[in-house]
Formats: sequence, C-alpha cells, structure tokens
Amino acid sequence: MTARRRLLALGGHDFDRRAGNDAITDLIVELAESPRPKVCLLPTASGDPEDQIARFRRAISDRDAVPHVISLFRLGENPVDLREELLNQDVIYAGGGSMVNLIAIWRAHGLDEILRECWREGILIVGQSAGAMCWFQGGITSSQGDPAVAGGFGVLPGSICVHYLSEPVRRRSFLRAIASGELEPGLGLEDQTGALFEDAELAEAISAREGAAVWEVTPEGAGGREVELESRQLEDSRPPINGTRADILELRQTLATRASRRRASRRRPGRLD
Amino acid sequence: MTGALRQVVAFGGGGFSQESGNPLLDDYVLGLTGTPNPRVCFLPTASGDADHYVVRFYNAFRNRARSSHVSLFRRERGVPDIRSHLLAQDVIYVGGGSVISLLGVWRAHGIDSILREAYEAGVILCGLSAGSLCWFAEAVSGYQDEVNRVPALGFLPHSNAVHYGDGDRRGAFHGHLLDGMPAGFAAEDGAALRFVGDELVEVVASRPEARAYKLERRGNQVLETRLATRYLGAETPDNVVPLVRQAA
Repeated sequence: MTARRRLLALGGHDFDRRAGNDAITDLIVELAESPRPKVCLLPTASGDPEDQIARFRRAISDRDAVPHVISLFRLGENPVDLREELLNQDVIYAGGGSMVNLIAIWRAHGLDEILRECWREGILIVGQSAGAMCWFQGGITSSQGDPAVAGGFGVLPGSICVHYLSEPVRRRSFLRAIASGELEPGLGLEDQTGALFEDAELAEAISAREGAAVWEVTPEGAGGREVELESRQLEDSRPPINGTRADILELRQTLATRASRRRASRRRPGRLD
Repeated sequence: MTGALRQVVAFGGGGFSQESGNPLLDDYVLGLTGTPNPRVCFLPTASGDADHYVVRFYNAFRNRARSSHVSLFRRERGVPDIRSHLLAQDVIYVGGGSVISLLGVWRAHGIDSILREAYEAGVILCGLSAGSLCWFAEAVSGYQDEVNRVPALGFLPHSNAVHYGDGDRRGAFHGHLLDGMPAGFAAEDGAALRFVGDELVEVVASRPEARAYKLERRGNQVLETRLATRYLGAETPDNVVPLVRQAA
C-alpha cells in the first residue's frame, strides 16, 4: 500500500495564542492521527531562533504530543543523522523566514531530498509562510528585500502566496506573476488559513480566523482572477490573547448601528451614494 | 596598476566570539587596516544571524571601529545595497556556525562574488571557525556527525581546519590529504593565519600556547609542520616558537 502523501500549507501561523493559531496547532496534532505524535520543527528559514523554538516546544507539549527540533545551525553541538531522525517523525513543520535561505540551506545539507522522502513515506508535512511556499513550484518571497518570485522545490505543482491581503505588495506581485505566466496558477493564503493537499490535489481549505480566506488565483486577461474557496472554519479551544471580548464587540455593533442611523437621517432625498 | 593587498586573517577560533575579554586577535586585524577608526562589517550568516551574536559584535567593536552588520535572513530591514556597503569596508568579519549553511546562503544571495570583489579591492577578510574555513579551496568541517570535506570559496588555494586538536579533526584532515585534498593549514583556538595573496605571511596567537600547522601529503604520509607563532600578548621575541618539523 502506498502511503497517503499529505501537506498542509499555512498562510501565516505561529505557536502563540493569537487568534486562530491555537486552532491550527490543534489541527496539526489531530492530522497526525497518532497517539502522542512526534512533531518536528525545522526553523531553518529564520535562522533557528530560540524564542520560536521555545514557543513550539510549549505548544506541542501542551497537546500531549512530542516536540522535536532540528537546528541545522547547531548540528555541531548536537549531531544527528538527519535522515533517520526525520523519517522517525509523524509530522514535520517547516517554519517561516527567508524562502531563499531556506531553499539554499536545505539543498546544501541535502535536506530537500530527505524531506521529499518523508512526504512520500506518509509523514505529514506542514509549513507556514516560507516553509509553505517552498514545497510548490514557486511563491512570492521578500527574502531579497522587495517581494519577488522565487522557485520552490516543486514537490507539489502550482504556486502559493502567503500573508495574502495582509501584505498587499506581496499579493500584487503574485497576481502579476500569475498573469504573466511566471508562476503557475495557485493559492493565496491569508494569515491563519491553510490548504491541505493529498498527493497533488487540494483536499480541504481551512480558516481559523474570522473573515480570513483561501483564494484560488488564475490568470485572467492582464491580471489575476481571485475566487474565495469554501473553508472549513476552525475554532480556538481557548480564548485567544488578542481576541476581542464579547462586550466590546457588542459596544462596537451598537456604535456602528447608531452612526448609520445618524447618517441615514442626514441623507437628503434623491442623493446617490 | 599595483593592485590592492589581498588579505585574509583566518582564526582557528577566538576573537570576540570565543574569547570574551581577550581582544588580541580582533585588535590585530584592526591594526592591519592602518586606520584609527576602521569600518568593520560583521556577517553572522553561519549562525543564522543570531541576535545575541550580533549584539556581542557591536558590544565588542562599538568603541573601536565604525561597525555594521549585514543580515541575510532579514534583508528587508538591512542595508539596501549590500555590494556597495561591503566594498566600502576596511574589514569584513565573518562569524562562526555552520559552513555548509553559510556557503549555501551566500551563493543564493550572490554574496560570494561580492566578497571576491571586496577581497581583490583590498578589504581585509577575517573570521573564525566557519568564518575561516569559507575562504579556502576546501574546508575540513567538523560541524556534522562526521568530519566532512567541504568545497569552499577558494580565495586561497589551500585546505583549512579550525579548532584543531579538537575531536577527530586531525585524523580526518590527514585522511582527506591522503585522499587528494590540497595541502593546507590548521589552526587551534586562539591562533590566526594571516595570508597576503596566496602566501601565509604570519601566524599570531591570543594565547601563548595556541599553535597552527601546515599539512601536506608526502607519499603515503602526511607531514604536519608546527608553524612559528607570534604571541600577541607580549612584545619580546622570546615568544616566537621555533619551527619544528614532525612527520605524522
């Protein structure tokens, strides 16, 4: 039997308590489909920073899963057999940062081939931001300063643009690149959304933040056409630390209603707006 | 054209990264610039641009040089034109870490060719550990489980090993030389090799006992020669260690 090859590409995620992030971390552990799954972080794209590693360890341990980190910058202190270590995981999570550096470093260490093998063996691959785009034909990176097209490993066809809508310059580059054919048609992933691929097919779009969506982008004339895909909504199991409290939401709603009534009463008949 | 002096100072280990409170090797490099307030740019790439490392660099050089750094992990926030920034330096100082990652990232950003240009224009290149190995034709890298032979930038036509005497590096270096690796140099922590052009012109040390070696293949054997070393902590010539040859 061939293993099911799964890859979850995330438009923006961190192992913290901001709205939607907890729900995505829950989903990752759930998709591992294993008791006490082993989840391995590759923080290469950001240079293996300690704070990111600490947040990851805490978030994964809290969910009765086993965190593991491979730091390519610290192999001297902690030498491991990369292939053996990675093939022993249930989930491999590639963090964000510089896509150009990520690709260069993994290639230099031969990690791209090992990770492709892990994916083929049925290990769930998860990536956010640079760690999501790298698996596809290409994406839009700001690794060199201004957003620009960057090629990925091409494990999956199509292209990905992360932080969609929250980084308008990135989105514009993506639309241009798709319109010109420089990038294959693909997905625009907003922060706290994701696309789960089974083999090369999109199996499911997910969103863990209200209003955040996954966009399918195809060329149309001189531009790109964006269609919002239907997403499965994920709920945070705990209140997010930057979530807005119910009473504040209610107050905002009341103020907005009053303001619109005032505008309506000021409106002169016959005026178009 | 007379041409600028092409110089590399390759530390086996030491400087602000490893010898906090011992500024001898760093001072030696600054002294080579011949200017009182040299421009020194730090490249922390091999560490993944670790914040704490960048902070330590500024702490060490703040009062001695016009210091700056280039981050290749956060380029959107750094100097806009890396090439002109690097070419305007007196010293480019490369930090330690993973030489494989370092070379991969530099090549991806075209930093390797900018550094070649800077080197030919007379900017002094220095560094420790990965920041030493990178300048040579081949590096004996002990960064992964086994000691590996890594092709590097090749500004110097020799091979290089750092932190010599540490672990299996010596045996691995000898093995690689017998396998055809070009002859080269090894430096212990606290020892630095100064090259002008392709030639080793001096070995200096920040610790009286630190040594460097020249290694070359002779038939089926490796000749390892301990090099005369000038300890930077004292002025008297007594500290010059006589050259000793020993077949290994």
